Amino acid sequence: MNNLTVRPGGGRYVARRPTEWASRLRKGKNGLISLAFMLPALAIYSTFLVYPMIRSLVGSFFSWQGIQISEFAGLANFWRVFSSSTAAAVGNAFTHNVIWFFCVLVGQNIMGLFFAYLIHRRRRFGRVLQWWFFLPAILSPVLVGSLWRLLLSPRGPIETILGAIGIHTGPITWLGQSDIALYILIGIDIWNWVGLPILVFVAGFGGIDPKIFEAARVDGAGSGRVLFAIATPILLPSVATLSVLAFINSFNQFDTMYVVEGLHGNPDGSTDVLVALFYRFAFGSAAGSGRTDIGVALALGTLLFLFVVLISTQMIRFFERRNARLQ
Amino acid sequence: MTTKTVKVSLLQFAKLLPANVVLTLWSVLIALPLYVLTVSCFKTTSEIYANPLGLPTSWGIANFVSSWSTAHFDRYTLNSLIVSVGSISLTLITGVLASYPLSRLHRWWTLPLTGYFLAGIMIPVRLGSVELFLLMKQLHLLDSYLGLILAYTAIRIPFAIYVISGFMRTVPVEFEDAARIDGAGHFRILWNVMVPQSRGAIAIVAVFTAIAVWNDFYFPLLFIFNDSLKTLPAIVATFTGQYRTDWGPLFAGMTISIIPMVALYAAMSRHIRAGVAAGGFR
Repeated sequence: MNNLTVRPGGGRYVARRPTEWASRLRKGKNGLISLAFMLPALAIYSTFLVYPMIRSLVGSFFSWQGIQISEFAGLANFWRVFSSSTAAAVGNAFTHNVIWFFCVLVGQNIMGLFFAYLIHRRRRFGRVLQWWFFLPAILSPVLVGSLWRLLLSPRGPIETILGAIGIHTGPITWLGQSDIALYILIGIDIWNWVGLPILVFVAGFGGIDPKIFEAARVDGAGSGRVLFAIATPILLPSVATLSVLAFINSFNQFDTMYVVEGLHGNPDGSTDVLVALFYRFAFGSAAGSGRTDIGVALALGTLLFLFVVLISTQMIRFFERRNARLQ
Repeated sequence: MTTKTVKVSLLQFAKLLPANVVLTLWSVLIALPLYVLTVSCFKTTSEIYANPLGLPTSWGIANFVSSWSTAHFDRYTLNSLIVSVGSISLTLITGVLASYPLSRLHRWWTLPLTGYFLAGIMIPVRLGSVELFLLMKQLHLLDSYLGLILAYTAIRIPFAIYVISGFMRTVPVEFEDAARIDGAGHFRILWNVMVPQSRGAIAIVAVFTAIAVWNDFYFPLLFIFNDSLKTLPAIVATFTGQYRTDWGPLFAGMTISIIPMVALYAAMSRHIRAGVAAGGFR
C-alpha cells in the first residue's frame, strides 16, 4: 500500500522504486569492487609513505639504541635537539634555510613576473623563450649542481670568461668563501627553477582580459604600473601557490648543497641546511667523522615537519584573506 | 616610407631595448652551462682546462665511449630506465584504478579517502626516511629496483590521483551508461571508456613522474649501496666528488644522463605546460 502513495513529484517515485532498489543493490556490489580498485594504491601509499611518516613522528618520543627503538622517552630527544652542542648547528642550518626561502621568494616572484610579462607581450618569440627558460627545470638538481660546481671551479670556464671581459681577474674561489657560498647555491637553485614561476605567470597573463591592459594604457599607465598595480593583484593566487611551494622546497633543500658543497655544507658549515643535518644524525656522514643519533634525527624531523605544515597552512590562509579582501 | 614611421619604429625599438637586453642575458645565462657541457664532451681534460669555452679541436666520441663502457654509464642508464619505467607504470596503474571509484562513486568514504590521498602532496617525504629505510631493510628491499620503484610510486600516487580523478570527473556519465547497456563490466568501462577519455591527464602524470624519478638522487643515496645498481643522478653526484681530474668522460656521462629528459621535454612540452597549469610541479 505504502508503495502506491502518491508523493510530491508525482508518479515518478513509484515508478522509480524498483530501479532504485536494483541500483542500491548494484551500489553495494560496487562498493566492494571499488574498494578492490583502490586497494593497490591504498596499500602502496599507506605502507611506503604514511606508515613510515607516522612511525617517525611517534619514534621521536622514544629513545634509540643504534637503529633499535627502545623505551618511551617523552620529550628527551627534543631537549637534546636544543642542547648546547646541537642547538648551534640547528640554528646555523635553520638560518640558512630561512635566507634561502626569502631569496627564492623575492627572486622567483620578481623575475617570474617580469619575464612572464615580457614573454606575454611577444607573440613570435614568446613560445621559444618560454620553452628555453623552462628547460633547466627538467634537469636534476644534482646535475645542475655538478655542472655549476665544475664551471665555478678555479681555472674553470666562468673564471676564463670574467677574466676575458675584465670584470674579475685572478682565481675565483666563491664556493670556498663562507660569506658568499650560500648565495651562490641559492643562485644555482634559482637558475634551476625560475622557469616554473615564469610558466605559471605566463599562463596567468594569458587569462587576463587584454582590455584591462589597454584601458590602463589609455589612462597613461606605464609598463611598470601595469605590471605591479594591475597584473599582480590578479595573479595573486599564482603568487600564493608559488610562494608556498618555494617555502616547502627551501626547507627541503639538500641535493644542490650536497653535490656542490658536500654533506657538511662547506666551507665551515656555512651552507649547511636542516635536511642535511637530519641526514647526518640519521645515517651518519659519508666521511665517517659523524655519529648517528636516530632519536635526535627523528625529533628534528618532527619539529621540521610541524614547522613546514604549520607555516605553509598559515601562508595559504594569509593569501586567502588577502585575496578575499581584493575582491 | 616617411621619416615619421621610421622615427616611430626607432622609438619603439629604443623602448623595447632594455627588455630585449634582459631577455637575451638570461637566455645566454641558461645557454652557457649547457654549451660548456656540450663542447666539453668532445675535449680532453687538458683541452677543457686550456680552452674551456672554444669549440673542440676534433669531434671525437672518445669521452662517450669511455664513460659508456669504462665508467659503466651503460649500466647506470639501464638502471635509471628500469626504475623510471617501473615507477611510471606502477603509478599509472594504481592511480588509474583508484581514480575511477574516487571520481565516480559518492559514498561516505570517497571524500575522506580522497583527502587521505591528497594529503600526501604536501608531506615532506624525506623526513620519514629513517623509518622508510628500516622498513625497506626488513622487507629485504634495500639494493633492489623494486624498493626504489615502490618508494617512488608511493610518493607519486597523490599527484596521480589528484590529476586523473579530477579529469575523470569531467567525463560525461552517458559514455559509461552506454557501455554498461552494451554489457561492459567495470574493467571494460575503465579500460575502453575512462582511460581513453583521460589520456591528457595520464600523459601529464607520466611526464611528471618521469622527471621526478629520473632526476631523484636522495633515495638511491639511501637505499642503494651496490654501485652497479645506482641510477644516473646518484652516480653523477659520486663522480663529481671523485673524478675531478678526469672531466671529459664526466661531462659525457652528464650529457648521456640528460638526453632522455631533453627528448621527453621536446616531445611533451605541451603536456608539461598543462601539468604546470594543473598545479603539479613539486
